[in-house]
Amino acid sequence: MQTEEVRDGRVKKRLKDMEHNIIKSKDVTLLEILDRVLDKGVVISGDLVISVADVDLIYLGLKVFLSSVETMERLKGAPFIEPT
Amino acid sequence: MKVQGKKLIYLYCVTDSPQSRPSDEKYTISCGDFYAVAGKVRKIDFGEESLKKNLADFEWLKEKVNIHEQVIESVMKESSVVPFKFGTIFNNEENLIAFLKENEEELRNNLNYFRGKEEWGIKIYCDMEYLKKYLGVKNEEILSLKNTIKTSSPGKTFFLKKQKEEVLIREANKKINEYGQHSFDKLKKYSIRSVINKLLPGEVTERNDEMILNCVFLLDKYKVPSFIIAVEELKEQTVDTGFIFDCTGPWPPYNFCKLKKSGTAE
Repeated sequence: MQTEEVRDGRVKKRLKDMEHNIIKSKDVTLLEILDRVLDKGVVISGDLVISVADVDLIYLGLKVFLSSVETMERLKGAPFIEPT
Repeated sequence: MKVQGKKLIYLYCVTDSPQSRPSDEKYTISCGDFYAVAGKVRKIDFGEESLKKNLADFEWLKEKVNIHEQVIESVMKESSVVPFKFGTIFNNEENLIAFLKENEEELRNNLNYFRGKEEWGIKIYCDMEYLKKYLGVKNEEILSLKNTIKTSSPGKTFFLKKQKEEVLIREANKKINEYGQHSFDKLKKYSIRSVINKLLPGEVTERNDEMILNCVFLLDKYKVPSFIIAVEELKEQTVDTGFIFDCTGPWPPYNFCKLKKSGTAE
């Protein structure tokens, strides 16, 4: 039987370790940023340069960068099924 | 002929509160009761002609995506944000304001929705050689094949070894699928929404191991500690198996924000 204190201590240590890991990896991983900002975020028009109403130049052709890596297409779609 | 006339307006995100210490690089434009965080950028960087060329320049891209992320993260520290995609550019402020007005209600709804929530990302990698080694001492089918090999004639051994290799690959894939699904299901319980993203190949990750799961979760802030503990538990379960967890956050909710009217211009 473990006491509350022991459990709390363990949890705290875990959180501290985890925080350390997160900060560390976030500092170095350009991949994580690219994986988000090039492909995600609010998109206000279709791909490439498009004029929508008064919005002029919106560049969304950046997928070009990622898809230029041929294998991306090969690996498209993860093997896991997300239950909806 | 001053540079001013040649600047474009870059939209980073919309947020609840105005930015302190505005500069050309980062300032706020108010729209009703929320704000857009924008910056003035050069045509030589983000003009239509230059951009295509610049995107092929990895150093340029690295610098600019880092600025994009840093600006949004600095805003996120103080308030709720709705991040826009990299390179969302307007010719002038009037056009940006018109866009904000037109989408005012939906942007505000988004801001309200994301208040008190954080995006966290999980990427799981697998070192196949390591996993095969693990299965070699743990998997019963493989262990029994190993035993048979020991007592077989040299001729038979050749085929048995080949069979063992096939079983290893099959069992490794099975394990990867089970483990990925199990991890995702476990972490999903803590989240409000979740998304499974494309796996990134080694050329992009620049790692020797293989990505087997790339997913993101939208969490209520108060659930983050439990989520992190769950991640740690998953990590502990996999000591020696060759699975490597990469957990990052908090991120702006890139994977979860959307405008209904957006997408393709139909």
